[in-house]
Amino acid sequence: MSSPAASPTSEFRHEALLYAGWAGFVAGTVPFIRGGLEAGEPVLVVESAEKIDMLRVALGGDAGDVLFADMAQVGANPARIIPAWHEFVTRNASPGRRMRGIGEPIWRERTSDELVECQRHESLLNVAFGRGEPWWLLCPYDLDNLDPAVIEEARRSHEFVTDGTTDGRSDAFRGLEASGAPFNVPLPEPARIASRLAFGAADLDSVRAEVSREARAARLKASRAAELVIAVNEIATNSVRHGGGRGTLRIWHEQSALVCEIRDKGRFDRALADRERPSNDSAAPRGLWLANHLCDLVQIRTLPDETVVRLRMNHPPTAHLRIVPDLP
Amino acid sequence: MSGGTLFADKQLVVTRTLDPNGMRFSGEIDINNCGVVGTCLKAIAAQEGDVHLDVTGLIFCDISGIRGFVEAAEHREKGRLLLHGLPVLLQTVMKVTGWADLPNLVVCDCKAVLA
Repeated sequence: MSSPAASPTSEFRHEALLYAGWAGFVAGTVPFIRGGLEAGEPVLVVESAEKIDMLRVALGGDAGDVLFADMAQVGANPARIIPAWHEFVTRNASPGRRMRGIGEPIWRERTSDELVECQRHESLLNVAFGRGEPWWLLCPYDLDNLDPAVIEEARRSHEFVTDGTTDGRSDAFRGLEASGAPFNVPLPEPARIASRLAFGAADLDSVRAEVSREARAARLKASRAAELVIAVNEIATNSVRHGGGRGTLRIWHEQSALVCEIRDKGRFDRALADRERPSNDSAAPRGLWLANHLCDLVQIRTLPDETVVRLRMNHPPTAHLRIVPDLP
Repeated sequence: MSGGTLFADKQLVVTRTLDPNGMRFSGEIDINNCGVVGTCLKAIAAQEGDVHLDVTGLIFCDISGIRGFVEAAEHREKGRLLLHGLPVLLQTVMKVTGWADLPNLVVCDCKAVLA
């Protein structure tokens, strides 16, 4: 049953392609790309390098008219994907001109934290582009390798669903308004906190020192550590300026990541605030935008009485066992 | 020849440099002291010609600090603001935040030593 909130997103068509196998992928994407080219529409495909190679072969000489980008780079942090689409759309928009895109942000190897942020990203696409420029975004979902729950969520985040041959409106689409509702999906509680600090404005140097110390312990590269310090300092600064003047920093180590979390009493209620390019006004906020470009993953949760921001820097899996003991 | 200390707290020291005309910022800038950037540069805002800032010793600078340099550059009517020795990470921050191509604010890699 179609929910009353499931109003059409005007000229933007956000469609999930549920495909099985390579053949299903090609059958679902190549006619879509060719259809765009034949209509004179700009086409951008953001896919894995492997799928891009395959599409180039399948498209033959037409591949030269298609823009390609590697999703592993563009979408490693899924919050960077909307700005990339935004750039494509604003660069190519002109009266009466339609555009097409293909973007596959979810694949089997995504971690559970990345997956939930990818799913949020899919919903936010409706907010970012609904009622905007006329373009058609096709999001392939791999039926052979993704959990059925992921496919179910794709039906909620996309207004249209196709299997490559038949398409139609998704009865499960959550609608434009619900797509941008405050995000409050629970975050898993870490097993062990390495560092905890309640901070105010005068303690920002201590915040930076704590992050530096744990980054050294995690053996993050110096440049990555410095990026994390900048990002955490900005989020903590937001707590001081907009989150009630104070916040709490927690840091913990995971197998392949260092995670810094800031909690404060602020209210994060502009769904796209972390993925809108800062305006030219020098006073415009830039902290969350910067964090998304420096960190591997940024998770924001709007809870009834607080806001939580987690910043994650990935690193090679840490060896916890010292095989050869240190010499005296 | 040095022009003396304009500001000093536990995080940041700002000194005047005379050849070429400018200032040296050493230490850390965050929201607790970012106003210092504008205050110090206001003193020479009316001077014509380029102003050279040695930021080689700036070990930390947040967005509010960079905003201070950006706004000081925007307020200059004649002459630019040149940043010498800006750490690579801060250059990245300026690019990402949309502050890389301002006409009056130049990130200079000339390796000039300011006296």
